Amino acid sequence: MAEPLIRIEGLVKRFGPFTALDGVDIDIYRGEVHALLGDNGAGKSTLIKILSGVHQPTAGRILIEGKEVHFRSPRDATAAGIGTVYQDLALNPLMSVTRNFFLGRELYRGPPAFGLLDMKTMDAITREEMRKIGIDIADPSQAVGTLSGGQRQTLAIARAIHFGAKVLILDEPTSALGQKQQMEVLKTIVRVRRRGDVAIVLITHNEVHAKLVADRFTFLALGQVIGRGTRSDLEHEDIRDLMAGGRPIGDLARELAAA
Amino acid sequence: MAAQPSLSVPRREADRLAAGGRLATLARRPEVGAFVVMVVVVVAIAVASNGQAFNALGLKNNLSIIAQFGIIAIGATLLMIAREYDLSIGSMIGFAGMSMAMMLKWGLPFGLGPATPASAFFLTLAMTLALGWLIGTIVVRSGLSSFIVTLSFLFFLRGLTEVCFREINGSTQISGLPDFKETSTFAYIFGGETFGWFYDLWFLLGGNVNRAGNQWVTGFDARVAWWIVVALLAWLVLSRTQVGNWIYATGDNREAARANGVPVDKVRIGLFMVSALCATIFAACQVFETNTADAAKGNLKELEAIAIAVVGGTLMTGGYGSILGVVFGAVTFGLVANAVFFIPAIDGSYYRVFVGVVLLAAVFLNERVRKRITGGL
Repeated sequence: MAEPLIRIEGLVKRFGPFTALDGVDIDIYRGEVHALLGDNGAGKSTLIKILSGVHQPTAGRILIEGKEVHFRSPRDATAAGIGTVYQDLALNPLMSVTRNFFLGRELYRGPPAFGLLDMKTMDAITREEMRKIGIDIADPSQAVGTLSGGQRQTLAIARAIHFGAKVLILDEPTSALGQKQQMEVLKTIVRVRRRGDVAIVLITHNEVHAKLVADRFTFLALGQVIGRGTRSDLEHEDIRDLMAGGRPIGDLARELAAA
Repeated sequence: MAAQPSLSVPRREADRLAAGGRLATLARRPEVGAFVVMVVVVVAIAVASNGQAFNALGLKNNLSIIAQFGIIAIGATLLMIAREYDLSIGSMIGFAGMSMAMMLKWGLPFGLGPATPASAFFLTLAMTLALGWLIGTIVVRSGLSSFIVTLSFLFFLRGLTEVCFREINGSTQISGLPDFKETSTFAYIFGGETFGWFYDLWFLLGGNVNRAGNQWVTGFDARVAWWIVVALLAWLVLSRTQVGNWIYATGDNREAARANGVPVDKVRIGLFMVSALCATIFAACQVFETNTADAAKGNLKELEAIAIAVVGGTLMTGGYGSILGVVFGAVTFGLVANAVFFIPAIDGSYYRVFVGVVLLAAVFLNERVRKRITGGL
C-alpha cells in the first residue's frame, strides 16, 4: 500500500473535562474517498476542525506526506493543502460566480487592492474549473443565489481544488439538499476522485451515500474509532449498526418498543 | 412555462435565468427603478415650469443641488453596500464647514498663523478623516451597530460645532469672509465655476442670452465637477477593482468574506473615512462658494443621503447597489428639492411628501429586484 497522504495518530482533544476525541488513528489516501461516519457527538466535527486548523489537538500527531504538521490557524491548514468545504460553503449569494470563486484571491493588474480586476481571465478559469468537475455554467457573471444547492457545493469544491487543496474535507455536503441535488454532489465527488491526486474526506450521516462513493470507512462513536475498513471489507457488515454506535438495529427496535 | 426548450439540449438548473433577451437583462439591473423615476420627474418638472427648470440658469441651479446630494449619497451608498450606515454625515458637514471657516477667519489653531484655503482644507480633512477612522474603529472593535455609533456622533459633532462657534467666534455663523476663490486657485477648485465651455457653446449656438443680449450664465458650480469625479472613482473602484469585490462581499456574507481572507474590518473603517471625505468635499464647496459657514449646515443630510442610496437601488441589507442608480437618485432628489423655485404655485413641503412616497416605493421595488437577481430561489 502506498504511503498515506495524511496519517492521524492517537489524536486526543479535550475541552476542559470533556473528552471529544480519545486517541483516534486514521489514514487518508490520495485518489480515495474516505467516509467518516458517526452519530451526532461522535467527534466528527472536532476531528475536521483540528484538520482544518480551527482547533489544536491536546495530544497526538498529524502527518502530511510523512512530515508532522502543526496548524495554528485555518490559514496554516489551507497552505498545507487542506481545503475544507463547510456546510454554509462560505459563499456570497448576491455576488457573481466568478467573484465568489476568486474572492480574496482576485487576479488583477496594477497595485494591490486598487489594481484593475482581470475579469476575462477569471471568468474563463471559473468556467473551466467548474466544467472539469461537471457543471457548465453558461454565464459566470450570474449571481450565486441563482445556483441550486448542488451547484453551490460544486463551486465551493472547484474553488478549493483550484487554490491548491490536496485534501478536500466535505462537511455533510448532501444534507439540506433535495434528491436530485444530492446526486449532483455525489457525481461531483466521483469526478474529483477520478482526478487521482486529491483525497476526499466525506463527513456524512447518510450511509447510503457513503456506500455509493466511498473507498474506505471510519466509524466514530463517543470520540473513538469503533470500526474501519475498505469497501470490500465492509461488504457484509451492516454499516447501519456501526452508524448507530455499534449496536445492532434489533436492539434499537426493542428499545423503541419499550419506550 | 409556455416555451419548451428543444429536447436535444437537456434543460439545466443554470439555464433557468438564461431565458429572456436583452430587455430582460436590462430590467434586472438595479438602477432601472431609479432611472424610470428620474425620467418621470424630469419631464414633469420641465412641463410644470414651462421649461424654466432647464434653461441656462435653471440647469446651473438644479445641478448645483443635485451635485451636493450626489457627493454625500455616494459615500452613504458605498457604506450601505458594505452593510453599514453613517448617520453622522450631516453633522460632519457642519463640523468641516465650521472648521474651515473658523481657520480662515481666526487663523490656524495653536498660533500657527493665518490660514490659506489649502491649509484650512487639509487640516480640516485630517480631522474629519481621523473622525471617520474613529467611528469605523469603534464599530469594528465593539461589534455595535453602526446605526447607534454614528447616531451618537450625529449629536456629538453637531454639539461640538455649536460650542466651538460660540466659544471662539461668539456666534453660530460666519459670513463676509474674503472671496478666496478670486485670489486662490485652490479655493476656486471648490467654490468657482466649471465646464464654462458648455455655456460658451450654448451662447455661440444662440441660447444662454440675458436681457442685455450678452452671455447669461458662464459655468456650472465647481461641485458638479467634484460630483462627477467622486462618482467615476466610486464606480471604478466598486466594479473594477479588488477592493470593490471586497466591499460587496463585506455586505453580502461577512463571515464568508472573512473566511476567504478579505480584510473585512479594514474595508469598513476605510469606508467610514470615505464617507467623512465626501462630507468634507461637500462642506468645502459650500464654504468657498458662499464665503459663509453656519452651525446648522448639513442638517438632516445624512438621512437624505441614505434615502438617495435606497432610491438608487442599494439594498438596505447590503451586498448590492449601483453607483449609476445613485446618480439617477441624486438627480431626482435635487430636481424635486429645487422645484419650488421654478413652480412657485406649489408648496415647498411637497418635497418631503415626495421623498416619503418614493422611498417607500423604492424599498419594495428593491426587494423585488433582489429576488429577481437571485432568481427568486
